[in-house]
Amino acid sequence: MAQGQGVNLLVALGGGPTDGELLAVARGVAAAADWSLRAVHVRDPRGAGTDALDGIDLTDVELIETEGAPVAEIERLVAAGADAVAFGARARPAPGIGGVALALLGALDVPMLVVRPGVRPVERLRRIVVPLEGSPSASVAMKHADDAFCARGREIVMLHVVTSDAPLEPGSLPAPRLMDQEHYEWKAWQEEFTMRFSQCVEGGRHRVSVRVGDPPTAILREIRDLDAELVVVSWRGTLAEDRAPVVRALLEGSPCAIYLVPAAPETS
Amino acid sequence: MAEADERDPGSAAARERTPRAAGEQREAAGGADALARDFAVIIVDWRAATSDASGGLVGEEVARALGAAGLCSAIERLTALGVDVVLLADEDVAVVDGLLRARPPVEGRLFLMPSQGAEVYVVGPTGPRLLQRRQAAAEEAAALSTAAEALRARLAAAGAAADLAAASPDRRAVVLRARSRAGTVSGGPQTAPAVLDEGGLPSEAEVTAWAVEAARDAGLPGVGVRVAPSRVEIGLTDMADALRRVHTDLVQGRGRRPEELLVVVASVDGVLERLAADLSRAVPEAGRATVVAIGPRRGGLPPGVLRLEGGVDGLLEVLEEQIARRARVARERFPQPVADPAWRFEVHGFDPFREREVETWLTVANGATGTRGALEEGSAVSTPATLVAGVFGDDTSEPRIRKPVPAPDWLGLRLTMGDMRLAVTNGELLDHERVLDMRHGVVYRFWRQRDVAGRTFSVRTARFASMDDRSVMAIRAEAVPEDSGGRLVWEGLVGVSHAGGPTRETRFEALGDAPGFIAVSQGRNGGGHALAVTTRPAAGSPIARRVQQGRDVIGGRLEPGEPATVDRFAAIAAARTRAPSPDVARRALRRAEELGYDELLARHSAAWIQRWRDADLVVDGDHEAQRALRFSIFHLISTGHPTNERVSIGARGLGGLSYFLHVFWDTEVFVLPFFVYSHPQTARTLLAYRYHNLDGAREKARLFGHRGALFPWESADKGVEVTPPYGFGPDGEIVPILSGLMEHHISADVAWAVWQYWKGTADDDFMATMGVELLLETARFWASRASRDADGRYHIRTVVGPDEYHEGVDDNAYTNVLARWNIRRAAEALVWLEGADPKRARALRARLALRDRELAQWTQVADTLVDGFDPKTLIYEQFAGFHQMDEVPIEKLRPRPMAADVLLGREVTLRSKVIKQADTVMLCHVLADELPREVMRANYEYYEPITCHGSSLSPSIYAAVAARLGDMDTALADFAMAAAIDLADNMGNAARGLHMAAMGGLWQAAVMGFGGIRRVGESLVVDPALPPRWHRFSVPLCFRGARLEIEVRRQGRGARAAERLGITVENAPVRVVLDGRERTLVAGRHLFRREEEGPWRKDKA
Repeated sequence: MAQGQGVNLLVALGGGPTDGELLAVARGVAAAADWSLRAVHVRDPRGAGTDALDGIDLTDVELIETEGAPVAEIERLVAAGADAVAFGARARPAPGIGGVALALLGALDVPMLVVRPGVRPVERLRRIVVPLEGSPSASVAMKHADDAFCARGREIVMLHVVTSDAPLEPGSLPAPRLMDQEHYEWKAWQEEFTMRFSQCVEGGRHRVSVRVGDPPTAILREIRDLDAELVVVSWRGTLAEDRAPVVRALLEGSPCAIYLVPAAPETS
Repeated sequence: MAEADERDPGSAAARERTPRAAGEQREAAGGADALARDFAVIIVDWRAATSDASGGLVGEEVARALGAAGLCSAIERLTALGVDVVLLADEDVAVVDGLLRARPPVEGRLFLMPSQGAEVYVVGPTGPRLLQRRQAAAEEAAALSTAAEALRARLAAAGAAADLAAASPDRRAVVLRARSRAGTVSGGPQTAPAVLDEGGLPSEAEVTAWAVEAARDAGLPGVGVRVAPSRVEIGLTDMADALRRVHTDLVQGRGRRPEELLVVVASVDGVLERLAADLSRAVPEAGRATVVAIGPRRGGLPPGVLRLEGGVDGLLEVLEEQIARRARVARERFPQPVADPAWRFEVHGFDPFREREVETWLTVANGATGTRGALEEGSAVSTPATLVAGVFGDDTSEPRIRKPVPAPDWLGLRLTMGDMRLAVTNGELLDHERVLDMRHGVVYRFWRQRDVAGRTFSVRTARFASMDDRSVMAIRAEAVPEDSGGRLVWEGLVGVSHAGGPTRETRFEALGDAPGFIAVSQGRNGGGHALAVTTRPAAGSPIARRVQQGRDVIGGRLEPGEPATVDRFAAIAAARTRAPSPDVARRALRRAEELGYDELLARHSAAWIQRWRDADLVVDGDHEAQRALRFSIFHLISTGHPTNERVSIGARGLGGLSYFLHVFWDTEVFVLPFFVYSHPQTARTLLAYRYHNLDGAREKARLFGHRGALFPWESADKGVEVTPPYGFGPDGEIVPILSGLMEHHISADVAWAVWQYWKGTADDDFMATMGVELLLETARFWASRASRDADGRYHIRTVVGPDEYHEGVDDNAYTNVLARWNIRRAAEALVWLEGADPKRARALRARLALRDRELAQWTQVADTLVDGFDPKTLIYEQFAGFHQMDEVPIEKLRPRPMAADVLLGREVTLRSKVIKQADTVMLCHVLADELPREVMRANYEYYEPITCHGSSLSPSIYAAVAARLGDMDTALADFAMAAAIDLADNMGNAARGLHMAAMGGLWQAAVMGFGGIRRVGESLVVDPALPPRWHRFSVPLCFRGARLEIEVRRQGRGARAAERLGITVENAPVRVVLDGRERTLVAGRHLFRREEEGPWRKDKA
């Protein structure tokens, strides 16, 4: 999904009070990536009509109004030609992010921009955080981030959280376990980490940040500390209890919009 | 078929001109098949090249046309295919070269021997160069004149009026005067030259005899006489001299057999006989050479001579057949990697995530240079680099680090078909395999790609850094369009990058006498190197070099299935303190080109086979262990230089972009033992590097307020400390680096290595000239570094031991015990020198101002130095206060390896009983011949659980110690951990260089741990403890002038299990200790056998 190249972001408006916030963030993200933007509102036949979107600034946005089961309708539109979907999530902790949101997470295999209420607005996308565990398959998020957002004046923080576990996947590059001479090892590792997971030449600044500890906690803290406007994270399609702790933590508490990129199952 | 080259009519035009089937018109004494084989040296009589089909000599214009028609091209192509061609001529060089104009791609294949063998010219791309001229001395010139005059007079007396004429510098000619039809001598226009076979004149044989006699009378007994019909020449040389030189230099000197010599001569009566006679005189085995006479023949042929019809056409037919044969062989002879999988390190596919690891693994190095295994055509994830040992410059960024000055990337080769560039990411990668042939030190690549246009290509390359000539590197690259024809081009690329780096400038200049360039790089405040590179079509390849849009490219129009092959050569000259002359590199490149790729490869491979003879460690039953060990040994050998005493082995080897080729204690303690026992010359050279850098070590000691020699923690080209004062942590924060200030044990490590080398090699000369001084100066440092406290004992305070988690500690056991050991061995060595060479010992003491009083003080320091040893527990306290530090639950230190300082935090590790790497256990390993086994066990059991192996130097040492103590599970786990440091596929450790210490440590773990082989005094203890899967273990060892092959075989299982030990001794007797009993083994094979847990007994079979 290279920057600009005809990418179409479909914003799923729910007719609720946070639609404006969702649309604003989606606009900011789409503008940063030079994507086109469409919005869809799946009307509840028993409930409100277009007036549910009253007060939403839909200037320059193609609005698709349809009826039916929201998830099925959105899936249909994705199949018809949307490259990514943006939708809102409730503020409550998962699984209470909202039934539609939860269903969309399970149903869609395109990148998803998830916007929680109260997240940092994206007036000008300046800083993006991409958590990387150091495995090739999970680095798909980095490729998407580079392809879509890498640009001069923008910083992409490649965030690696050191844990005692190392990914088993061939080609992985976790933080060095061997530290013969610290002053050489970190520099060499950072150069290799950057080269391995990003070959972007679009002029954006890439910075490797290393934290130690529980990954979800460390990532959330880093997003807050850096005032990041977007976190881009790989997503293997499941929120099962023992999986995806980072995605669950972000859905529950990210202070910025979350861009989920489907990743292949981990190989080992 | 290749695109026709205007200068290359040979393969097409020449074949059309000679439609006769080879051998069709051959009249042979030895049979027509005599020409149907390869000849390595072809001698051509110039008359054969300048005669027409009737056998008559043609005029200059015709000869020029004939030459242009094919002879020039044929000779150039023959020489490009590795055939030596020699032209023998009576004429001088200007005439012969003026007609021929052949310019071979390299100098050293075409020779002109004009003027009856008086001169020898070698012809290269720029023309002939005189190699030798037989110049008559004044006395010889006078004697020649006397002889010629005597001959002239005798001829005149016999009725043959003659005159003396000018000839070449070593000859005199007597020319018969013209005769009128009436038989009187006349100078008028109606006259013709007199000839000796005319009636009334003496015969040729008579004149020859007269000439020899006249020369002998003049004092020239060994002259050559050439008698032409109207001319007689007396010379100091003749064709036999030329042929003798050909035989000596090109047949014998280049390892050819007489059967590989072909002589093509004009079938002129007299000439043929003379040349055949000269050949017999000059070449003892002349009968085994093949002689072909070209042209019509009235009389019979001398024995063994073939005859072909035609003048120059016949000659061209012979040459074209040789070209066709050679070209076919060359096409089919792309080198192949070793077939035995145990010698192949294979990488399949192309994984952009892992490419830097692959590049490091596939580094080709020879101690002088190291070239990373990057793709020739490059990619977005490639990091090509050629590092040159010993050439450094100052970086411009802060902190200023002494860094190697990289050479331009010589490997770059871009392949283009039409206007499309071939790359692994361009189209579909069908197959990609890279093979490191460890046996022969060559990296092969086999690549099939379908480009975006749907065309399929196969590409092969084979590269190496010569172990035979360490200034040379070479690659052969072949591309075959499988299913489409078209124009294919190879283009040499050069990559230079030194922005902000240690390179002050890189200056390019043309090679001059051949296409290519020389890049001269100069380091900032440092050394430099000159790299000369050229690319040329490989022998037999149907492509040609041409300039295309200002670029030098090699290409041609190919048919499907037709290979286009190029050879690229690089030669480097390096200097430690300046930029070297480019001429040195130019000459080295010329040497390489003259030898050719195949010969270079053959010599390189032979050198590798020789090195493996004394280094190959074989493990049967454990494929992974064998692979890791061979891989390690391969790179150890690749990285060490056997003779350059100004370079050592950097921590990450010669393919590592990290650590900047800096030399640490890794070299002396981890790597050097391998060389002591496999290639002592290299071990000596490594120690000589320290010796030559003693002044830097003295200066560092002085700066710290001490005496003696404190070696730098990190050393580069000058032997001064190059450890940066600070570095950057993971988040860019400044981290102070204390190792350069406090990690002093390196001085004792160097001393330890000196002792190991001396005792392992019995190299007294090294010890007398370098070793004793190294020991004394390091001992002096320790005596000055230790301070006596109120307790009356000496202490060494504020150091960093091998465990770098704990900085600024007092009385580190490893440091103190080795310091004490250093002092005592120094004193012992001095006593030895005073006995072995009193004069040298006195001179050394005088130079070092070493008096008895100081020696006594050393002894006092050694005797009272605190070492932290507790006789009750047998445990050395790692440093003062270690036992009082915080405990850390062991589960927090798992899994290993672990960077505990990262995970737990620096503050925690600083105050906790968590150690980074073998420290006290390291001491047990290096002093294994001195410390009791119980002490080793106590320390191993205490420290092993709290070691997190956060250093690549740790697991191999633990494996060795665990194996000695019988803790086989831990030994195997640690051995596997050490093996995985560079080879694990999920850690990425090797991306920026190999871990040389881990490789040396792995060898030590196998040999000293599982093999149980270690030196005690001047004997070898052999006490193997093989892992269950290791059915056979064998290792060659050099020991005190002897060569050993130690082999352990396990037989049977359970109660019937037995081990057989074979020790083969060569060169000298060896003292070997088995079960505590010392035996002297003389040359021969010695067999022992032991049942499980039983003692070794002699075995007959």
